[in-house]
Amino acid sequence: MKKTALIFGISGQDGSYLSELLLTKGYRVVGSSRDAQMSRFSNLVRLKIRDQVEVESAALNDFRSVLQVLKKIRPDEVYNLAGQSSVGLSFDQPVESFESISIGTLNLLEAIRFLEAPIKIYNASSSECFGNTDGRPADEFTPFRPRSPYAVAKAAAFWQMANYREAYGLFACSGLLFNHESPLRPQRFVTRKIVNAACRIAAGMNEKLELGNISVERDWGWAPEYVEAMWLMLQQDNPDDYVIATGETNRLEDFVDGVFTSLGLNWGEHVKTNRNLFRPTDILTVKANPGKAAQKLGWKARYKMRDVARMMVEEEKEGWEKL
Amino acid sequence: MGKTMKKALITGITGQDGAYLAEFLLKKDYEVHGIKRRASLFNTDRIDHLYQDPHESERRFVLHYGDLTDSTNLIRIIQQIQPDEIYNLAAQSHVKVSFETPEYTANADALGALRLLEAIRILGLEKRTKFYQASTSELYGLVQETPQNEKTPFYPRSPYAVAKLYAYWITVNYREAYGLFGCNGILFNHESPLRGETFVTRKITRGLARIKLGFQDSLFLGNLDGKRDWGHARDYVELMWLMLQQEKPKDYVVSTGKQHSVREFVNVAGKELGFDIRWEGEGVEEKGYNQKTDRCIVAVDPRYFRPTEVDALLGDSNLAREELGWEPKTSFEDMVAEMVAHDLREAERDLLCRREGFFVPNGIE
Repeated sequence: MKKTALIFGISGQDGSYLSELLLTKGYRVVGSSRDAQMSRFSNLVRLKIRDQVEVESAALNDFRSVLQVLKKIRPDEVYNLAGQSSVGLSFDQPVESFESISIGTLNLLEAIRFLEAPIKIYNASSSECFGNTDGRPADEFTPFRPRSPYAVAKAAAFWQMANYREAYGLFACSGLLFNHESPLRPQRFVTRKIVNAACRIAAGMNEKLELGNISVERDWGWAPEYVEAMWLMLQQDNPDDYVIATGETNRLEDFVDGVFTSLGLNWGEHVKTNRNLFRPTDILTVKANPGKAAQKLGWKARYKMRDVARMMVEEEKEGWEKL
Repeated sequence: MGKTMKKALITGITGQDGAYLAEFLLKKDYEVHGIKRRASLFNTDRIDHLYQDPHESERRFVLHYGDLTDSTNLIRIIQQIQPDEIYNLAAQSHVKVSFETPEYTANADALGALRLLEAIRILGLEKRTKFYQASTSELYGLVQETPQNEKTPFYPRSPYAVAKLYAYWITVNYREAYGLFGCNGILFNHESPLRGETFVTRKITRGLARIKLGFQDSLFLGNLDGKRDWGHARDYVELMWLMLQQEKPKDYVVSTGKQHSVREFVNVAGKELGFDIRWEGEGVEEKGYNQKTDRCIVAVDPRYFRPTEVDALLGDSNLAREELGWEPKTSFEDMVAEMVAHDLREAERDLLCRREGFFVPNGIE
């Protein structure tokens, strides 16, 4: 029997790559968007899978809406990738961040409980929950120390998942994903912003790339392979939470270097830092230990930061050549 | 009103902690403002003794209608009062009920704290108004170490605890991001005669007192093995205030450092009333008998079990003791005795009313 997956937040980077993966696995893929008729699903179009995916309108902060779409689609697996996804924006929209992330997750859990259906659920948690990791690599036992309204809301959603798993026996998994990038990242994300500007500069534009704090450290991976970990979590015998990362830490400066170097440029000549772009509270150091995912899911990141930078540049250039 | 008089705003002023804190701050010469929700029944009985008629001059105790789920209402109240200190004690505070009303609990307890923090920022009061957030030992849930201190990782086990976790971290974040003077008091269980009747301690003292006077035959409880660190609410509100008088904002655990089971609580309360309770059976079948009459007066009802239980909590409040010079004044036994005496008196009043032919409501959980 063909399995059905319902993806909340299908318009985004992860939703699009996950759709692609599940289609190759023979799933019927249904995605939701707040207004499916108005949404262009440009990422699905770009991956050339728009016509293979069904779409439904659904708003996660509205219980009726969630219940309705679950009843109609009758999914085997639900992937919740929806919700406000920008750390920076969450300082300006703290309430919306909580409602879309935490109340949204709660509505999904309550709806599944209400239907008493054996629906497995994956929730996109985030490495932002950990905050600064104090040099010790973060694993599934590392306490949270969130540093933004986005991260606090994600921490609440993580514990809601754990509580519904423990209290009601739901098959609920959280993936604590570290940064994962791709050409589908919107430009308000710093990686895409860097790639985009560097390509313009390489093409002869006379401009400076303005960045915030470039000494921050992150663990950057390749989004198309991270979505595989999400799927793997729901194929296990027991529901559990997993850290998903490359295990390699780099400074933002290194990523900038990776991008500019792959274009034959020296980043120092083109980048300036602007204190106004610093966040009120930022995470400075991050280290991840994805050992459990390797051991239990057999999942390991193939691409590290420099590969990610290079591949993003290649795609960006290709996109420009088509214009 | 005196010019130098400090102003405090208390959300949740109609609750146990709100009432004790209001009384404490009035004694410290504060002008005290409180927010109460509109209700079709009077809900101010815990603070009626503090009430001042609006027509009085020199009024130092003022109530405002409001709700933590209404942002503009909070902004307006805070704008009008310009408080020096805000104590956020309002919440859907019942763990068991939170499993039934998870969304409301998130809205009031998690977003409620955020709305207050945002109101302070929107009004530009970050440098003036200090903020106290009522955090809770329920954050520790499935405890990761014993005893629990400020560094113990959280493991919330109920929608209530998850909502409070959000409120805890958002308070920390606003302190770090915007320099707001925000403190979390991680209070372990704190009880008193003013505790809500549906909370286990009050349910025990009230139930046993009513059994004593023949209003009911027995008392039904949930998990008798649950262990808690119980202090007196009156002692704990002092710490809320102390936290906001320090040079720097910080989070503190507030606890007695002593642990008792629900069963022990029943024994101590029973003894106060002259009940010698003998326990028989196990688990759901466990019953407490009045030794003298051999009648069952305490039984277990699984209805009161929670989908995920918090088994044992024990707080390490050394930081508060060392840095704030605080220590709990009331012993466990004295606290239970005070609660029993209060509930026995209420039961006696009800008995008198009933004897004189007046209707006496029983209180339905």
